[in-house]
Amino acid sequence: MAQATVKRRRVRAARASLPGGPYLLLVPAMVALALVSLWPLYYGVRASLTHYLYGRDFGSAGLDNYRRIWSDPYFHQAMSTTAKYVVIVVTCETLLGLGLALLVSREIRFASPIRVGLILPMTIAPVVAGVMWRLIYDSGIGVTDPLFQAFGFSAPEVLANNTSAFIAVCVVDIWEWTPLVFLIVLAGLQSLPQEPLEAARVDGAGRVRLFFDHTLPLLAPVLLVAIVLRTIDAIGTFDQIYVLTQGGPGVSTQLISIYAYNTAFQFSQYGLAAAMLIALLAMVALLMIAAVRLMKRVAV
Amino acid sequence: MKPRLHRIALYTTIVAILAIALFPFWWMIDESLKQPVEIFSGANLYPHHPTMSNYSQLFNDYHFGSYLENSILVVTVTVFVSLVLGTLAAYSLARFNLRLGLNQSALVVALLVRMIPAILLVIPLYLMLARWGLLNTRIGLIIIYTGINTSFVIWMMQSFLAEIPRDIEEAAMVDGDTRLSALRRVVLPLAAPGLAATAIFSVIATYNDFLIALSLTSTPAAQTVPVGVSTLIGKIQIQVGPMAAAGVIGALPIVIFALIVQRHFVRGLTLGAVK
Repeated sequence: MAQATVKRRRVRAARASLPGGPYLLLVPAMVALALVSLWPLYYGVRASLTHYLYGRDFGSAGLDNYRRIWSDPYFHQAMSTTAKYVVIVVTCETLLGLGLALLVSREIRFASPIRVGLILPMTIAPVVAGVMWRLIYDSGIGVTDPLFQAFGFSAPEVLANNTSAFIAVCVVDIWEWTPLVFLIVLAGLQSLPQEPLEAARVDGAGRVRLFFDHTLPLLAPVLLVAIVLRTIDAIGTFDQIYVLTQGGPGVSTQLISIYAYNTAFQFSQYGLAAAMLIALLAMVALLMIAAVRLMKRVAV
Repeated sequence: MKPRLHRIALYTTIVAILAIALFPFWWMIDESLKQPVEIFSGANLYPHHPTMSNYSQLFNDYHFGSYLENSILVVTVTVFVSLVLGTLAAYSLARFNLRLGLNQSALVVALLVRMIPAILLVIPLYLMLARWGLLNTRIGLIIIYTGINTSFVIWMMQSFLAEIPRDIEEAAMVDGDTRLSALRRVVLPLAAPGLAATAIFSVIATYNDFLIALSLTSTPAAQTVPVGVSTLIGKIQIQVGPMAAAGVIGALPIVIFALIVQRHFVRGLTLGAVK
């Protein structure tokens, strides 16, 4: 009897302090994470070393898939299109987001509804953003052709022409994601220490000087977080392009994601597609490590 | 005089930018309420003969009922399961000094998983689900989304839980609570706003996913709303009215949810690095 009580008490004490418990609490979540990271990585590497024919596994291919993508002009084209896309959209989003944050961070009326209105584009699914802009760009139904005609230009048929289609998909990205940079920078601006800025202002520094000498350096870590996050995301852009152009006309908007997707799901070349993505992962991984370090530094 | 001109310029700029940000929303709603004749008869900025026929067509002819049902089911189960898994893990990370530097490394792993672009995952995931016989099933989608979303929950909840003073739960434990009952009775109610924000962000991210659902499902039996939207875009022509209506349905719940959590947006986007 007494023994049972002691035992029960011990059990309760054990429960209260949870020995080994903290680790047990972690296990289910870590299994879930492994399921969508380590396990796919293993599958992906294995698929990239496998020869597929009509979607069926035809045994080991060694490094053949990697050799083939290395000499595939469309792969290089897709990589350079992606690079161009990423540089253009991230640059524009950073500059516009920064400008917008500086504009709105001052004392203005209706600050809260304005802020909500400005961030609305980034809340919706990129697919829906694609649909919205398809409704704007398409000839016959959209507003771009009538708009150009109203100013006396000929209808550009935006999505039917290589250069304008590329610009058009960039515009959609910039429209959707400038709000993200804007919001992060705005939060950064609001948490800046005011004393050095005040001191500089008292010393008679002008607005421009104040911005470049004081605000920007203080803001840099936050701005970098926004840039790196956007860059990683932009490299994987898929949804809007799929809805707007499917990579066309020709291959003018064929980003690496679209090319890899088609290689896998249209032509059932899983091995080739996996090799492309492993190559891409190698690049993204570096950025992700940079992001982790930056975010840690900002958080402190 | 000069400051006044300055203010006018400032507000004009803001209004112009707001117009650019919001016009696509209006245009989609506008198109979704027009009859085909009106859609193709020039750019009317409001519907002259508003109709709901695009919406009824969507549900009668284009399986939108099933897409919506799939989305609601998949999102609900995913968010619930990942909240449980992620919050337990976050509690462990926020409250205990674990060995092997697990506190730091588990967070870093979660962060990395969160950042992986979906395109890098879909091909291996497709092969995995094919082997397990789970392609084109809702349970397959739920498993994958739960894994991805758990990473987000760990991060968010860890940052919210760390803000709650330890003394409170220690007091509860002195009063006879176990760890887990203290977590349930004392800590979680305090963390409720954070939990709600995390849940809503999870709903947004899961409902909005397109690429994973597109790759892993193939019929209206398992396809979700964003995939349903894309099926209206044929190779040759697009169903303009129904597509606009589908876009509205795809955007509406998300916009509402986003308005609720807009205060927490920055933390959600930067995973707590910037608050």
